[in-house]
Amino acid sequence: MQEHIQLDQKQINDDLLAGVLGMPKWWLAAVGGLSLVFLTGVGAFGWMINQGVGVTGLSRPIFWGFFMTNFVFWIGISHAGIMISAILRLTQAEWRRPITRAAEVMTVFSLSAAMMAAPMVHIGRPWRAYWVFPFDFSRGVWPNIRSPFIWDPAAVGTYLIASSLFVFVALIPDMAVIRDRTSGPVSRMYGFMCMGWRGTPRQWKLQAVAGILLSALVLPVFVSVHSIVSWDFAVQTAVNGWHSTIFAPYFIIGAIHSGVSAVAMIMALMVWLWKLDKYIRPDHFDAIGRLLIVVATTWLFFFFTEFIFALYTLEDAEIALREMQLFQRPYIFLFIIFIFTAYLIPVPLWMFKKVRRNMALMFWTTVLVNIGMWLERFLIIIPGLARKTPLSFNWGSYTPSLVEILMVTATFAWVGLGMLVFSKFFPLIPLFDIKEGMVFRDEIKIGRATVPASIRE
Amino acid sequence: MTNGDAAANGHGLLTTQAGVSHDLLEKHQGSSGLFKGAVALFSVMFILGVVGFIIRVTDGVSDRAIWGYYAAVFAFILTTAQAAPMVAIAPRIAKAHWRRPVSRAAEMWTAVGLLNLLLFIPMLWILPDLKDGRRSFWFFGIEDSGVVNAFSPHIWATVALVSLVIVGVALLWVSSLPDLALVRDHSTGWRQRWAARLAGQWNGTSRQWHILDRRVGILGAFYFMMLVFVHFLISIDFAMALIPGWIDALYPITHAANALQAGVATVLLTLFFLRKFGGYQDYITLDQMWGLGKLMFALSLLWFWFWFSSFIILWYGKKPNEEAVLELLMIGPYLPAMYASFVMNFLVPFLTMIWNPLRKSVWGPPLIATSVLAGTFFDRVRLYVAAYSVPGLGDPSVDKHELTVEQVENMSAVMPGLPDVLIVAGAISGSILLYLLASRIIPVMNIWEQKELLLYKIHKPFHRTEVMVLGKRE
Repeated sequence: MQEHIQLDQKQINDDLLAGVLGMPKWWLAAVGGLSLVFLTGVGAFGWMINQGVGVTGLSRPIFWGFFMTNFVFWIGISHAGIMISAILRLTQAEWRRPITRAAEVMTVFSLSAAMMAAPMVHIGRPWRAYWVFPFDFSRGVWPNIRSPFIWDPAAVGTYLIASSLFVFVALIPDMAVIRDRTSGPVSRMYGFMCMGWRGTPRQWKLQAVAGILLSALVLPVFVSVHSIVSWDFAVQTAVNGWHSTIFAPYFIIGAIHSGVSAVAMIMALMVWLWKLDKYIRPDHFDAIGRLLIVVATTWLFFFFTEFIFALYTLEDAEIALREMQLFQRPYIFLFIIFIFTAYLIPVPLWMFKKVRRNMALMFWTTVLVNIGMWLERFLIIIPGLARKTPLSFNWGSYTPSLVEILMVTATFAWVGLGMLVFSKFFPLIPLFDIKEGMVFRDEIKIGRATVPASIRE
Repeated sequence: MTNGDAAANGHGLLTTQAGVSHDLLEKHQGSSGLFKGAVALFSVMFILGVVGFIIRVTDGVSDRAIWGYYAAVFAFILTTAQAAPMVAIAPRIAKAHWRRPVSRAAEMWTAVGLLNLLLFIPMLWILPDLKDGRRSFWFFGIEDSGVVNAFSPHIWATVALVSLVIVGVALLWVSSLPDLALVRDHSTGWRQRWAARLAGQWNGTSRQWHILDRRVGILGAFYFMMLVFVHFLISIDFAMALIPGWIDALYPITHAANALQAGVATVLLTLFFLRKFGGYQDYITLDQMWGLGKLMFALSLLWFWFWFSSFIILWYGKKPNEEAVLELLMIGPYLPAMYASFVMNFLVPFLTMIWNPLRKSVWGPPLIATSVLAGTFFDRVRLYVAAYSVPGLGDPSVDKHELTVEQVENMSAVMPGLPDVLIVAGAISGSILLYLLASRIIPVMNIWEQKELLLYKIHKPFHRTEVMVLGKRE
């Protein structure tokens, strides 16, 4: 991190609490606009509940469409927080400091968006969602624990609790700072939430230990969530293209690809909207760009392996499905857009340091990645279902209805809205982490060169 | 960390560049009686292995089943010794300083690739071509397609393995250049002549250092890619394709991931012996054991995740051929090997390495590494011996795409004969022997990286304590 700017603690407080103690001009308008989009989606959901799932484009044999694609997409985005926070924290990567909080918060909101995107709306009768829990003794009907659809809520729920805890633990010292800079009921509210934080050595030690423990413990949950989501598909033999052993790691690496890309997008937005350019430097974009090259290339390798092994089966139906994905309309167009946006355009560009250090280019290339990764999920789900199989009896086609489009759009608005509201109550960059980074930063002279260094315990 | 701790951890003892050079050259040039004894022992065992191989050759190559253990030990060396250099490559790319005493010890294993290349040659005779219509990664090798050569697996696996060995040896050579020049300038006799030949014109100019830096990075990245590619080809064409109906897209990646786990275990054990018997205790310290121990722990969890991801899909799928494959590889004749692998590759590392006192010790990680290596061997036996024991490949009347549970139920595990035991012991001994001999020419401790660390590391006071400050080149 050559471009480091040394800042004093007061300036850090002033800069990072500006959005909490004040209100940017654009904030209300943005919240209003996003609320409108979100409420439109809620209205569409109400309409669907009133009229039934017939108002969607779903019909036999394509029962999973936009909702499920969107569910997998948001689950994928939610992997960014833990990837950035837990793994980079455990590996002591210094460049993580300004971006961990935003990534963790995005995890929480994208997980809730995922739960909205499919399970709640997709079961058709959401008022019976509690059937996944084993407490309805009077009926004598128990959830089938051998079904991945029962594992889903358990894994996603655990992940949501763990990632919320993750955010909360890291927020405690910052909430104490806000407590000390506010008054009246607001101060009392922050005082209540920071649980008497005084910054004693013991409290700091406990907070650090809690962060490390949560980082380590949340990793298996992180892996289990998308593995289980992938097994929703892969355990089935009835649908061509789904029954593949590689699905769990393939889904996870895809999730990290789209999630880390989303973090890069958020970083650019934080600089543009909150003017946090003193904290998020071109160096940070450079580092995340290099990480993305590795992640994206690993993802491509898994994608290639998955595809090759579909051909390796030598099964006519499996090969026909791949022909359909690659050569038949409309999937051919979607496939071309997907492969170009998910890999062929961004990764060669990221090879150039100038691109990696250019915030606007990083923003737009990572937007491309997420368009591509959304389409990837669509191409996994829809073409396989569209084909006639011994169990589905006929061919199908799928066009999303306006209701589905509105509800999917609402999930994007929800995540944006959540981030904006969060930013009004809590700093998007962790104050204590930045201050610690400033203290730990040092330099070493080697001959005529000065090398950035950091203090290690 | 205080000065006292630093000294206890080996950091404080050798603090000048000249001191490090002198100490490491002295260690490199000396050879103890123990070393000579080890060379003699492994030479004898290697020769016995050659005898075992000759006996096996007299049995011919038409019965593939008797070559299962041979294939397993080839895959074992590919998974352990040839993967060990990744321990040098990955932390070097990440610029982790703890790698410095580890990197040469890990890269030295690339030399063993030469032996594995020799072991590979008979496997080309044992592997059937694609003319009998068996399933293959080279899809259309069936005789009437005429698109792909029926010997595609033989050709491409050979090209890949040869490339891996060349890149590996090149990596070892390039990264050793400064140390070889040091040996050239500070030794006599045969060692000086060898070092002079290998060091070439290295004089340590700025340009040479710049080129070295780039080449080591590029060769490391290539080695990683080639390693994954070789595992991809070998695991599919030399194991999976030999079992009709075994379709597991994750398996080649699992094969490569296991190699990373076993590679770390190999290096941990190497470091333990270098520390205990080589006199390198001032360099190989808790930092290295701890760092690698954490890595091995993480890779052991990865082992389980990959294994379970494959298992659950096949188990849920319940296609007839999937049931047969599970019966063959996991719950049937090779169940003991499966149990051994599961316990030693996953359960033992998982249940022991979660404890700080064991993970954060110089003896704990190497101890668990022995478990991982033994587990990896059983895993390779399970996969390769089972694959080579499936009858019918090469017989036109036998289905090449479906294996039935009834077929598997009639099979029993192939037990090793005396030639197999000699071959396995000989191949592993030959690998260690090659490593020992290479360490006589090339210093097993990376001297220039060790000296470079002195530039990047300082201790300084910080409030009421003293801290270590580590520089990181951009």
